Amino acid sequence: MMNGLIRQLSDIVNNYGLPQDFVVQASFYVLAGLACAFAFGVVAMRNIFHCAVSLALCLFCIAGVYLFLNAEFLAVVQVIIYVGAIVTLFLFAIMLTSNIKDRSIRQANSQALVSAVVAAAILSFFIYIIMGNPWKIPASGTAAHAGPGLNDIGRALMSSYALPFEFISLILLAALVGAIVIGKVKK
Amino acid sequence: MIPQSHFLILGAALFAIGLYGALTRRTAIGILMSIELILNAANINLITFNKFLGGPDGLGQVFALFVMAIAAASAVIGLVLVIAVYRNMKTIFTENMNIMKW
Repeated sequence: MMNGLIRQLSDIVNNYGLPQDFVVQASFYVLAGLACAFAFGVVAMRNIFHCAVSLALCLFCIAGVYLFLNAEFLAVVQVIIYVGAIVTLFLFAIMLTSNIKDRSIRQANSQALVSAVVAAAILSFFIYIIMGNPWKIPASGTAAHAGPGLNDIGRALMSSYALPFEFISLILLAALVGAIVIGKVKK
Repeated sequence: MIPQSHFLILGAALFAIGLYGALTRRTAIGILMSIELILNAANINLITFNKFLGGPDGLGQVFALFVMAIAAASAVIGLVLVIAVYRNMKTIFTENMNIMKW
């Protein structure tokens, strides 16, 4: 069930006398809590530059959560694409547009209270649904479902999902050309 | 092992936080960042269901890859639009971008 990296980590800690399951679970809950805290920082901080940095840390924690889901490849891709590319893009856009030193600017609009109530209502509804559903748990003996490796993902991308893969490349090309056209200064 | 519902609750919490941010932020960049949070919540759910319910040849992870590509494309287009609007109207606040409203 556990993948290599998490197992190695917990093996290391195991030498200090802590049970392995406890280490795995504790590290998951710490990562999840950190992800939520940084996500809250993204929506609540006043300085938008700090928000972008908080977004990077939140995405990093989510990449850590992916490790618990047997998705090592996606964790690496998450760090490369999101933290490496998208957050950098956000930082450039912030530096090109707003005055980042000005912290006195109000960041939230007048709907903050209503939005908080709506978001809390939706969250509690989701939690009610999730906790009420008896999720089908694979039998522990037969499970040992290691999850798709990089090999399987590559094979699936090139065989079963070749058409969506090509569409994605078209969309990325269109986004690239569109970004250049929109961003160009017109003489 | 960590139960499936805890992963789903993490996804729901990230979605709710992103929704709150998308509704309350005054700057377009802040709204885009909140949308990235929402897309990540969707990714967590996709990968969770892929692990616990087991899809054919990792369908959930492949779909999460597609979501990441779409997120990158949307972030690029959104940020370029923000920069173009800033160049023309000298504002980054969404309430001032009202020239198409009458």
